[in-house]
Amino acid sequence: MNDTVSLTIDGQPVEVPTGATIWDAARAIGIDIPVLCHSTRMRPVGVCRVCVVETGARNLQAACVRPCEQGMEVRTDTDKVERNRRMLLELLLGDYPEPSAREVTTGDDALLALARDYALETSRFHRAGGATEGRRDTSSPVIVVDHQACILCDRCIRGCDELQHNHVMTRSGKGATTHIAFDLDVPMGESTCVACGECQAVCPTGALTNRSLQGLRVVVEEERP
Amino acid sequence: MTGQSVSARVVNSVCPYCGVGCALSWVVDTANNRIVEARGRDGAANLGRLCVKGRYGFDYTTHAHRLARPLIRREQSYPKGALSWDDNGPHRPGGPVDPQTVLPHFREATWDEALERVGENLAGIREREGGDALAGFGSAKGSNEEAYLFQKLIRAGFGTNNVDHCTRLCHASSVAALLEGIGSGGVTNIVRDIARADVALITGCNPTENHPVAATFMKEAAANGTELLVVNTRRPAIADHAAMYLEIRPGSDVSFYNAMMHVIIREGLIDADFIATRTENFDALKATVADYPPESVAEFCGVEAGRITEAALRFGRAGAAMVFWGMGISQHTHGTDNARCLIALAMITGNTGRPGTGMHPLRGQNNVQGASDAGLIPMVFPDYQKVDDPDVRARFEALWGRPLSPTPGRTVTEITEGALEGAIRGMYILGENPFVSDPDVEKVRKALARLEFLVVQDIFLTETAEFADVILPGSAFAEKTGTVTNTDRRVQLGRQALRPPGEARQDWHIICQIAQRVGYPMEYADVAAVFDEFAGCTDSYASLNHTVLGDHGRWYPCPDPEHSEGEPIVFKDTFPRGRALLVPARQSPPVEATDAEYPLVLNTGRVLEHWHTGTMTRRSQVLHGLSPEGFVEIHPDDAAGHGIADGDWVEVASRRGSIRIRAQVRDRIARGSVFVPMHYREACANVLTHPAVDPDGKIPAFKYCAVRISRLAAKKSA
Repeated sequence: MNDTVSLTIDGQPVEVPTGATIWDAARAIGIDIPVLCHSTRMRPVGVCRVCVVETGARNLQAACVRPCEQGMEVRTDTDKVERNRRMLLELLLGDYPEPSAREVTTGDDALLALARDYALETSRFHRAGGATEGRRDTSSPVIVVDHQACILCDRCIRGCDELQHNHVMTRSGKGATTHIAFDLDVPMGESTCVACGECQAVCPTGALTNRSLQGLRVVVEEERP
Repeated sequence: MTGQSVSARVVNSVCPYCGVGCALSWVVDTANNRIVEARGRDGAANLGRLCVKGRYGFDYTTHAHRLARPLIRREQSYPKGALSWDDNGPHRPGGPVDPQTVLPHFREATWDEALERVGENLAGIREREGGDALAGFGSAKGSNEEAYLFQKLIRAGFGTNNVDHCTRLCHASSVAALLEGIGSGGVTNIVRDIARADVALITGCNPTENHPVAATFMKEAAANGTELLVVNTRRPAIADHAAMYLEIRPGSDVSFYNAMMHVIIREGLIDADFIATRTENFDALKATVADYPPESVAEFCGVEAGRITEAALRFGRAGAAMVFWGMGISQHTHGTDNARCLIALAMITGNTGRPGTGMHPLRGQNNVQGASDAGLIPMVFPDYQKVDDPDVRARFEALWGRPLSPTPGRTVTEITEGALEGAIRGMYILGENPFVSDPDVEKVRKALARLEFLVVQDIFLTETAEFADVILPGSAFAEKTGTVTNTDRRVQLGRQALRPPGEARQDWHIICQIAQRVGYPMEYADVAAVFDEFAGCTDSYASLNHTVLGDHGRWYPCPDPEHSEGEPIVFKDTFPRGRALLVPARQSPPVEATDAEYPLVLNTGRVLEHWHTGTMTRRSQVLHGLSPEGFVEIHPDDAAGHGIADGDWVEVASRRGSIRIRAQVRDRIARGSVFVPMHYREACANVLTHPAVDPDGKIPAFKYCAVRISRLAAKKSA
């Protein structure tokens, strides 16, 4: 078996170690494939699908989990790819709460940032008054949970289970009622959570946010060493 | 919804709590001089991870109790004594010292007046009684630069080696055993090297609470196949991830590890080559452990012989095995013996100098490694160079321009003794709180009250500051730039994020100003220049400076910091003392055996949310909210025997004193013992502890004394 494979991404040739994903290969040559569920700190799971690309296969492939193959010709910028990403974003935004607790405090809601990149002012699937009421869990002294803003990307679950190894978080429910849960689906503040904050740190949306920042609008003016 | 707009900047620093040394960034609200958020950074020890203290426990920096002006004790508040100790009435159920109770005994002063008084009194005692009548406690919470300056002032300015810090209460015995055994007190392998270990022995420590981010890497290793052998007297949560959990009886460590070595030798699992080429004194060790077959110690240790044998076989058969230990090993009157056993265990199996092997005493404080490296120890100058070595002393006399004392100074507990006897007349305490942290606080109280002059420099009015003649307001870690060295020997630079409140000053400035006032001027252009002078008198740090450390730091030794991260594994070919010395140890009796009157063993320690004497964490809203009060943990069987239910108020008493505290009935603790965390002044564990110390490490036996427990009549509030 060869140690490396060669492929092209958007026409650019690239050679990567065997087993590298398309997302890693694209990143190596400066092609930015959007992600919501993926983080370089975690095992890729390919659940949000916004990183889909064309590889010539029957259907679109999630770049964060798809290994590169010798001679593969990857396109990240076709109409089909763009249409799919827009559709996914519109679906995710359909019941997204306004405002997002992340966007209004630290301004780094990754879903809304991606929507801006795709010039999505509104979603065709928007349901007026996305029912955030009753879907918020404020039982933790450090983190506010807004299930309405959760996109089930599993970052929090991987952060809890695979980075901090606290094994408090999981998915619970089926179909449309699927949601992130603590222990056997008890409020966060009543669970075995040790308040390390990893879930809040890795969450890309307004689902898990820092309670102490509520009411603030933090704008970082200056990144200094 | 628009929130209050905060214009912020991001400052890279290091977490100020434990020895793991997590790199983080603080998001700073510049206009209001406060931190609004902490973010994990991609540091070598944490890979972006933080725990509850690092992520949410920074708000103590802007607490209203911060000292902002120098204070001088009022005339009518003499004779000196504790001012708030009994202030636990119904109006104030616990928590840190209330300034309202203590401040009326002090008046605000200018820096000039306060420093003048400090200089006059300390220099006066030096002139009248000699330098050895003075002493200093520095702190492992300060930076390397501060530790270096502090010990330089005590040694060259005061003229005594009476300088020590909380390492004495922490790993002094581990360091004594390591210096004796291999000639170096630092860890041989970094925490994250556990990923490459087949087996890891994790003993006398509770990493998920006390080194939470290090624990994540241990749990990760376990998930990937590393077998954890967890040994303790109180089941730590890391045991959930262990191949074996062995609950030994308090104080039976030496017998247990001798029995493991007995099995390893009997079964031929030793590394004969390593023993022959890298160690000495194996025959004596072999002769001693021959007396400890598992069958004969099983009952004493409280572990079946078969399980001791199995643990030994797992350790002995591992291709690479690593040993982690904490205060459960070190804080005994036989702490040095405990550590000697662990060192010998690693040596006879050849587990040093390779990936996934070695010895890692988990350091407690963020800078206990660095403070020790910088010479905040009575027997040694920076980099463990002995004060009684004439050549070494001559070098430091030339560097510091003063004659230096050839006599090793007093340790923490010996300084307390000295103050009681009247031999120590004046003290400078920077950032330590011995009135809560040291054993037998009744004794510490008498000692502090007897001092002719005490200056305390801190960020809060601590219980110790209540005994002071002068209190100087220092700066929190987030308010200064300086380096700290973590448990992995990683030297990392913390950068100033906040301005000190009011007239509070940088601690290194204050040290220099006191030096000036006692007639020993110390002047530096900036804190980086202090580091350079410190590094220049060591081998370990010689290649390092603030610029090269940058945002990510280096592991020392690091001969080529421009191109290398430094050494995550040391002693690949030889030890600093050449061959490792195997030191056999025999089981010794506890300092205070249990009896009919005091039938339970008291164990002390920490909880996840709090830090030591609680001066910082109990002033953090989140941390105090999560863990607001002390508790005594007791096994259900013992609780039933004493008629105690979960949540009952009880009195715990030893021969030194008694505390009132709420009971937590839990089966994680061994029968026959109870556990009290050290953080809560109103239920202060160290009222109970025994002041006896280990003969080599001089560390107190915080993990063992005899107590009794009794239920109190129902009480409506704390």
